[in-house]
Amino acid sequence: MVLKIFFPRCCNSADSGLLVGRWLPGQESAVVLAVIHYPFIPGQVKRYLSELQAQSQVELSVLGSWSMPKEGQEGMESFLKDLSTIFPQDRWLQLSRGAGRRGFACQLVERGGGSAQDGGDGGGDSDGVIFVHYDQRKVMLSQLHPPEGGGGANGTAEPSELRLVFQTVARSQPLFATDQYDDGPLKVTHWQSEGREASIIVELTKQASVPLCALLTWLLSLWTRLCRISLFNMWPVRFVTSKLSTCVQLSYRTDHLRTVSSPKKASDHMEFMRKANIFVSFFVDVALGLLLISWLYRANRISRLADILVPAADHVAKELQELLQWLMGAPAGLKMNRALDQVLGRFFLYHIHLWISYIHLMSPFIERILWYVGLSACLGLTFALSVLSDIVALLTFHIYCFYVYGARLYCLKIYGLSSLWRLFRGKKWNVLRQRVDSCSYDLDQLFIGTLLFTILLFLLPTTALYYLVFTLLRLVAVLFQGVIHLSVDFINSFPLFAMGLRLCRPYRLAEGVKFRVLSEEPGKPLHLMMEINPLKYSSVLQWYRTPTYSCYPKDSWVALCKKLFVGELIYPWKRKGTKTD
Amino acid sequence: MGQRKRAAIRDSLANQIMDGITLGHQDSPKHNICMVSDFFYPNMGGVESHIYQLSQCLIERGHKVIIVTHAYGNRKGIRYLTNALKVYYLPLQVMYNQSTATTCFHSLPLLRCVFVRERITVVHAHSSFSAMAHDSLFHAKTMGLNTVFTDHSLFGFADVSSVLTNKLLTVSLCDTSHIICVSYTSKENTVLRAALDPEIVSVIPNAVDPTDFTPDPSQRDDSKITIVVISRLVYRKGIDLLGGIIPELCLKYPQLHFLIGGEGPKRIVLEEVREKYQLHDRVRLLGALEHKDVRNVLIQGHIFLNTSLTEAFCMAIVEGASCGLQVVSTRVGGIPEVLPKELITLCEPTVSSLCEGLEMVIARQRAGTVPPPATIHSRVRTLYTWRNVAERTEKVYDRVAKETVQPLHRRLHRLQAHCGPVAGCIFAFIAVLDFLFLLLLQWLVPDSVIDLAVDASGPHALWKRSGNRKHSV
Amino acid sequence: MTEDEFTDINGKAISLQCQSHSNFCREFTVSAPKLSLRRIMVYTCSVWLVAYVVFFFTQNTAVLSSAIFITLVGMMLHIHFVKIDHETLLIVGSLGVQVSSSYASGRESTTFIEMSKIKDIVINEAIYMQRVIYSLCILLKDPSDPGAVSTVVPLFQSSKPRLNCLVKVYRSCQEILAQC
Repeated sequence: MVLKIFFPRCCNSADSGLLVGRWLPGQESAVVLAVIHYPFIPGQVKRYLSELQAQSQVELSVLGSWSMPKEGQEGMESFLKDLSTIFPQDRWLQLSRGAGRRGFACQLVERGGGSAQDGGDGGGDSDGVIFVHYDQRKVMLSQLHPPEGGGGANGTAEPSELRLVFQTVARSQPLFATDQYDDGPLKVTHWQSEGREASIIVELTKQASVPLCALLTWLLSLWTRLCRISLFNMWPVRFVTSKLSTCVQLSYRTDHLRTVSSPKKASDHMEFMRKANIFVSFFVDVALGLLLISWLYRANRISRLADILVPAADHVAKELQELLQWLMGAPAGLKMNRALDQVLGRFFLYHIHLWISYIHLMSPFIERILWYVGLSACLGLTFALSVLSDIVALLTFHIYCFYVYGARLYCLKIYGLSSLWRLFRGKKWNVLRQRVDSCSYDLDQLFIGTLLFTILLFLLPTTALYYLVFTLLRLVAVLFQGVIHLSVDFINSFPLFAMGLRLCRPYRLAEGVKFRVLSEEPGKPLHLMMEINPLKYSSVLQWYRTPTYSCYPKDSWVALCKKLFVGELIYPWKRKGTKTD
Repeated sequence: MGQRKRAAIRDSLANQIMDGITLGHQDSPKHNICMVSDFFYPNMGGVESHIYQLSQCLIERGHKVIIVTHAYGNRKGIRYLTNALKVYYLPLQVMYNQSTATTCFHSLPLLRCVFVRERITVVHAHSSFSAMAHDSLFHAKTMGLNTVFTDHSLFGFADVSSVLTNKLLTVSLCDTSHIICVSYTSKENTVLRAALDPEIVSVIPNAVDPTDFTPDPSQRDDSKITIVVISRLVYRKGIDLLGGIIPELCLKYPQLHFLIGGEGPKRIVLEEVREKYQLHDRVRLLGALEHKDVRNVLIQGHIFLNTSLTEAFCMAIVEGASCGLQVVSTRVGGIPEVLPKELITLCEPTVSSLCEGLEMVIARQRAGTVPPPATIHSRVRTLYTWRNVAERTEKVYDRVAKETVQPLHRRLHRLQAHCGPVAGCIFAFIAVLDFLFLLLLQWLVPDSVIDLAVDASGPHALWKRSGNRKHSV
Repeated sequence: MTEDEFTDINGKAISLQCQSHSNFCREFTVSAPKLSLRRIMVYTCSVWLVAYVVFFFTQNTAVLSSAIFITLVGMMLHIHFVKIDHETLLIVGSLGVQVSSSYASGRESTTFIEMSKIKDIVINEAIYMQRVIYSLCILLKDPSDPGAVSTVVPLFQSSKPRLNCLVKVYRSCQEILAQC
């Protein structure tokens, strides 16, 4: 078995002393965390270590000795060798670095019963040793993916060796707290932070954030109580609010703010990242919204927009009227069932008439409404977009109505035709068993069925044409709304903080590690450099995407086409109720 | 003439020496055989088990055998079965009924790669329903390999689809080195359909593994009479007939039970019958059965019923007889040749005739005049064995290996002469295109660049020598 | 350190570099031939010719500038995302296996797999495009069921060496795997 020693880079040129670290359980590997310099008092070392152990919950121990020969320190070797009797350990590592040489020499001294097994190694056979150098700061700060606790299923499995190394280094943060210039009884070499210039500002923000969070929470609770008033819970109000995307976005943002302002400290990495992501994306959202407002309310753009909007709606209605007139004639040279065609056309024309009068009634107020609605953008760009989506939905309400009528009629026909076709073949749908059974019909049943079948079949093209035209119109509206929903969802769920972290501090989010062979001298142990392999951008997105009401197509394209063909109603791509992670 | 031959052969077909093959006793050379068919495990059926058992016996006799089929769902790539039988599941598009789509060309690159890297000498295609088999025959001839074809099914001559398939078969088989049929009826049928020289058509029947199908009378419930039906529930297997038989007999004999194994589109017919006549306790539908479970079902019954409408060689009735059951079957296709007269009751493929036959057997069963299962088993055991089939197939390979494959111009000539002026010309043109495509492929990826595969079976098998060094995933 | 010449599955020359750092640490580098100047010239010239023909008929100079832009961006994307210069397999006994591939632009993508997750390293047959080829694969253990294989990680995916080269790498890998 090969012995692996994880050695911090900063201890490469430390003075001689004791190696402090941890033997990884079940693995043939040791993590060196620090070097305690000579001279020291063994009792103090032991006390110091037990204190640290209580703080960090890492089984710290003295691993062995480290010697770095310097002038005037002869006889050090033998002294260090004797130290093993003072610190009783099963194994005693003796690392030494020759003057001017890059590689280390390693000796493993076994004590007690264990020496018999690993006798080959103990005799100073340095071939079975790998030195893995690591950067203590990066390893301490980085988060190995997948994070712990994230996947509950494999939480029971034994953590892998690398994960243990990362854990050990991250948990022994108290060990690194002692400063180089501290005047304690022990001199220790390990990673030192370069200084804390910005720490005062950080502290101040921390202090200030507590009352701010409390205030936010209070406001939020007020808001929720307001929402709970029974007036808002009545059926029509609730139905309307669940349909309007602005309201959905509002509840969604409230949720976000509640998460961010909760006074509890984030328990693990994922939760912390989630909070940070929400926080950053909220700010970016608001900033974009303010930018939009500053553009919109300058140079009288609102009134110009309103002036465009009303004629546009009018124009759409006119076009629709013409389309209906065309359909009532002989569209594309097709010969329709005249009576049904006229009935359907008149019906729809009346609707458009209603619609036009409605628009004209509204037109004086449109500018006002737009002005107030535009203010909502100060809550964020997402709100502005949601409002836009709602406006589009309201302005294309007539198309939606036409579509629903057409679809229902068409659906009924298809349904009737399919069941009559079964009757034709002497079959019937067995509701209890959910399958098609054979069945013998009476003569008059067959006669009536055949008659109905013929009538339905000959009326189908007329209905299908109306259905087709209005479905196409509806699809355009749905597509537009879908694009808006997609962009809103993108802003809501994009993990900006994680992306920034990955860009500026790649080592913070580690996918794994990579090794580089440092030096190879025959007869000397192998030296590897362990570097952190940063997470790919795609995986950052995958890990840290804020869970949202996903707006991806609910069903595949094939299913959508099938729905269209059968005449089932289609809605914008919005899933309600289910949160997807 | 066919009638006469059939009459002469009927009772001891299995022990006959194959016609068309002269027996030679020299130490036969070992072949590298590639079995190609669309139908293989995990699909279940007669062709599938035929290919598997034949391959196993050929491997036992020291040949190298590989199987090429199309990917079944998640099962794609290269797999190894028992005794290092290597199976290529090639990613080809399945069109209908587990048969791949064919464009005559698109399978050439993959098949060529397989043939070259495995150093194939004989390509053995199975089943005329398999487009992949025909494709591989076509490409193998283009590449100059010897070809053998086994036909497992019978066809009509009258309807349009049969005429078309028969034309295709004519083209496909007109320069195939040798054809194997599973019964004499099948041979007649194939010779007529594909306008072949009967000299190059041999008859090698299917077989069953008699050790898998041993009788066990203790499993039967003698207080009632159980009729077992095991087949795919499709039209060809006469499930509509079965649906007519069940109510009629169940009405007459209150202690009669049906045990039906298999799955298919016609299952609904049986379910409806069961519901209509309230026979839930007497007609059991077992659904799809695994091969290893078939025996456990068979031994529970007294009578084995086969209602096929067309059948080249019925393996199911041999399995039934091997388990010691009384066999009742329709008199269609090659079924009359399969079992000796005293082991089988043959009826016409009508409901009334089948009912009559069944009633007769039921009466005998009640009177106790049927021979005991062990006797039937011992008779059937020696009739059909895979070893025998493998030996005879090997002789076909030996004969084929001696023949030279026709060069392209002779092939074209033969296609034109044999398949009629229009179809012949079209297919000659396709053959030329195929050849050009092959040349293109040989230019793009020369044979020398293709790695030769490590043999898993055959004379140079790596597995036998060094144990389980190679892994398969 | 040894260097051998092999060919890949398309018959192009590749070189395999084996470096033995110690008894239980070996590094294999498969280098593909460098991007040939002639091919770049051919592609660039053909794009420019097409652009010039279009320009000749339309008299629109935007076509020419866009052609230059397309070739530049295409070349950059090609060397940054497509063209792999060499692939390295570093196997360290009892620590793990590191697979890295470096692109012609110098970008490197690395994956390290711990030894505790590795079940075995095998030569596998796979269907690739319209070919059946051999490839070296790492089998990963299924954490829930130690006997089963959860994933297969193919090695040398871009250079695709032939069997003789794979066998050489396979033998040395098995030597190291057998030690620990």
